[in-house]
Amino acid sequence: MMRMLQLLNGPHDLGRGRGFWSGMVLLAAAFLAYPTIASSFSATNVAYYLLNIPMALGLSLLWGYGGVLSFGQVAFYGIAGYTYGIVAGNLQDFAWGTEAGVLAALLAAGLSAAAFGYFLFYGRVAAWIVPILTLVLALLLATFLGLTAGYQWRVGDIQLGGYNGMTGIPALQIGGLTFQDYAFFYLVVAIVAICYVALRIWVNAHRGQVLMAIREDVLRTELLGYDVRLEQLRVFVIASVLAGVSGLLYVQWGNYITPSAMGLQQAALPVIWVAVGGRDSLLAVAIATFLLNQLTYILSSGGNQSALVIVGALLVAVMMFAPEGIIAGLGRLHWLHWLRARRRAVPSGPASSGK
Amino acid sequence: MSGSERIPLSRREGGSKVLPELASILYQFGTNAAFLLLSALGLIVILGMMNIINLAHGEFMMLGAYVASFAVHRGIPFPLAVILAFFATGAFGIVLERLVIRRFYGRELGALVTTWGISLILAQGALLLFGPYMPPIPIPGGAVSEGVFSFSVYWLILIGISIVLVVALTLVYRATPFGLQARATMQNPSIARSLGIRTGRVYMLTFGLGAGLAGLSGALLAPATSIAPFMGQQFVAPAFITVVVGGGANVIAGAVGSSTFLSLIETPVSLTLGTFYGTMALLVMALLIIRVLPAGISSLGARLRPAVAR
Amino acid sequence: MVNDAMVNDAMVTGGGGPVLKAERLCKRFGGVVASDQIDFNLERGEMRCVIGPNGAGKSTFFALLCGILPPDSGRVILKGRDVTHLPAFRRVRMGLGLTFQTNRAFHALTVAENLETARRASASASGAADDAHFRAAFGAFDLAASSHLPARELPHHQLQWLEICMALRRGPDVLLLDEPTAGMSPGETMYTADVLKTLSREGLALIVVEHDVAFVRKVAETVTVLHQGSVFAEGPVEVITQREDVRQIYLGRTREAAA
Repeated sequence: MMRMLQLLNGPHDLGRGRGFWSGMVLLAAAFLAYPTIASSFSATNVAYYLLNIPMALGLSLLWGYGGVLSFGQVAFYGIAGYTYGIVAGNLQDFAWGTEAGVLAALLAAGLSAAAFGYFLFYGRVAAWIVPILTLVLALLLATFLGLTAGYQWRVGDIQLGGYNGMTGIPALQIGGLTFQDYAFFYLVVAIVAICYVALRIWVNAHRGQVLMAIREDVLRTELLGYDVRLEQLRVFVIASVLAGVSGLLYVQWGNYITPSAMGLQQAALPVIWVAVGGRDSLLAVAIATFLLNQLTYILSSGGNQSALVIVGALLVAVMMFAPEGIIAGLGRLHWLHWLRARRRAVPSGPASSGK
Repeated sequence: MSGSERIPLSRREGGSKVLPELASILYQFGTNAAFLLLSALGLIVILGMMNIINLAHGEFMMLGAYVASFAVHRGIPFPLAVILAFFATGAFGIVLERLVIRRFYGRELGALVTTWGISLILAQGALLLFGPYMPPIPIPGGAVSEGVFSFSVYWLILIGISIVLVVALTLVYRATPFGLQARATMQNPSIARSLGIRTGRVYMLTFGLGAGLAGLSGALLAPATSIAPFMGQQFVAPAFITVVVGGGANVIAGAVGSSTFLSLIETPVSLTLGTFYGTMALLVMALLIIRVLPAGISSLGARLRPAVAR
Repeated sequence: MVNDAMVNDAMVTGGGGPVLKAERLCKRFGGVVASDQIDFNLERGEMRCVIGPNGAGKSTFFALLCGILPPDSGRVILKGRDVTHLPAFRRVRMGLGLTFQTNRAFHALTVAENLETARRASASASGAADDAHFRAAFGAFDLAASSHLPARELPHHQLQWLEICMALRRGPDVLLLDEPTAGMSPGETMYTADVLKTLSREGLALIVVEHDVAFVRKVAETVTVLHQGSVFAEGPVEVITQREDVRQIYLGRTREAAA
């Protein structure tokens, strides 16, 4: 337990120490208290801004910590969404139908990522091939599901629905509790918190260090006795299951999913959230995902077609002028000041003066 | 998503002769290979020379198609419009290289992400500026009949143009001062620099050439497709798969080998199951190829040579 | 996954014979023969220096031994087991440790994290025995004082030492070092030689690819001279360094290169 707390407080993300974690607890409390002042409509909206965070955290782990970029995480988002729709829809009359749907969805995302990733990582391809082929996978899935209009495209009682997508997807039910409105909001907040804490422990643990070692120098890491292909495949599967978690939450939120959830524009969004936040900081990525989802939701709900131009320009600007990310950059700046202030207060020991 | 779907092969029942049958099969392979090659050529030139993947490639093709559509509807003959598209898109590429791309040499993933941002801006920007559709370009030339089959003259011309482009590119790289400088830069930029080659200029022109080729291909394929802001998306899967399978070891040989090989796979699948499954077969082939030849089929030559020497 | 501990036990009970063996190793690059029928035996606890002029095929030989390159023909045998077709990381898990010619510690990570990364994931208290060489080197190289520093802030010679310690972290039986003292001062070089000799005396088998003749004289018992991809001479260090033909191909060339 102590070891877990130490790892949670480890150095491979922004923010450490008592002050930071007190702030995080306050933030969590604020989210938990939010439904008491907000309508169920606004709580559901906030849940929508939050529900993509697991997918973004997965991409941060993969790209920022592991140095492997994927442009097709939405493929696994969609696979999980559609699988849940099919399984939970068909098992609607059973008490455990929706739980089975969740399980099937996460399994489908994980297994498809494992199969696809096997070819990518065990072939040891150049770095640019992984994002390209994952993107092609997402686009082809979207194209395929677009072709599934009509009654002949159905699994059990559920129609895939072509470009109009799958509708009437049942909400998760555990016992007598249906996760809608406020309950859905709490579910999203809990899952986001769990994902963040678990991933922060992971990146500071031994496996996380190996991951960063691979990012720094693949050959060196292999010659320390690690099977780089397996490590990369493992983290790809984890990231894809996290994308599946977001896909699951998305179909809970809207009770529908369309092939455009895997289209080219949707595929770009996770990359933008992660790049703008700062890919090697889980916290910065989570914050950026929340803010940018809010931004695009507000922009596009006004019927404004420039949303994509704006986020595209934001992405180009960040990559050019702040490649470490805006939020992570600001956070590090703040942290640096704080560290300097502390160093001045405590004279440095002989150890840091070096030889 | 490929040539064969737009130029349906009219096949009548009965009375088949061997020669036209063979010609028809060759024509199918040829159009698919030409489509793949034209989609990928600009991309593979930039990848091979600069180790940069241009995700805005499809949007460069869209720009070429837009320029051609503008020109044709202002009375400029189509061949001239295509050449205009090459230079206009090339110039745009050069400006973009100076402003943005040159910051990303040696950061291939950064370049990938940045060019994706550029592609979003271009596609959505085209929608905002010019609306959802551009006036289409009529397909030049008619069809010729050979026995029971008919072939589109335009696609026959495109097959010819693909061959001419490959030969021209080979000549540029083998026989011009720019080609020599470019090959030197590709092999070892720092030594090239020390020999007085302005590598920055080589990169700039290479990116311009790649962008121009994308624009040229976009203009050439424009009559066979609808000209719209998001038309670039349809080229993403075939172009990138061709590049992945071709690899960056030998630019031109890779592109030619990969497009020929993939058309051999795609054509029968498309004809029997439909174009979507043809494209799906391309992805499956790409996955299988990288498992065996991670550096693409252009690395095959380099692998075989020592074995031959033995 | 193969259980490392099981493999190790099986190997140790295998007993006798050379700990690392190369049989007729060949490797060509195009028309260039980089390794030509190399036969090589390393006994347990032996300290071997591999020398040769630039382009003699030292780096290729090194890469073939650790599995970075596959040989065209020939075999590599580690602790009695044919590892020719095993990838590098499996050889490392079987008891091969190595460092590179250029320094490749993880510069963004601290010294402690570098060593943590080099540790076997499953290692627990039971791994205390194979820890001995590592602890000896870690103490001798005095890295504890800088364990919280990012590796990039270490002076050059300490980075080299850190890499040696990383290679020892898993408790290998054979350590392959590619020019471990490149860029060190004479004093640092001699100190490194002392530490490596101590490790060898405690039972670790070492192969050191080196240029520095003073270093070779100090540490080696047996020297292997590579020339044009094949073994040119092999024998006691005093004999080899006196041979006129060796001087000609090796020492002569180095003087040229230095000039």
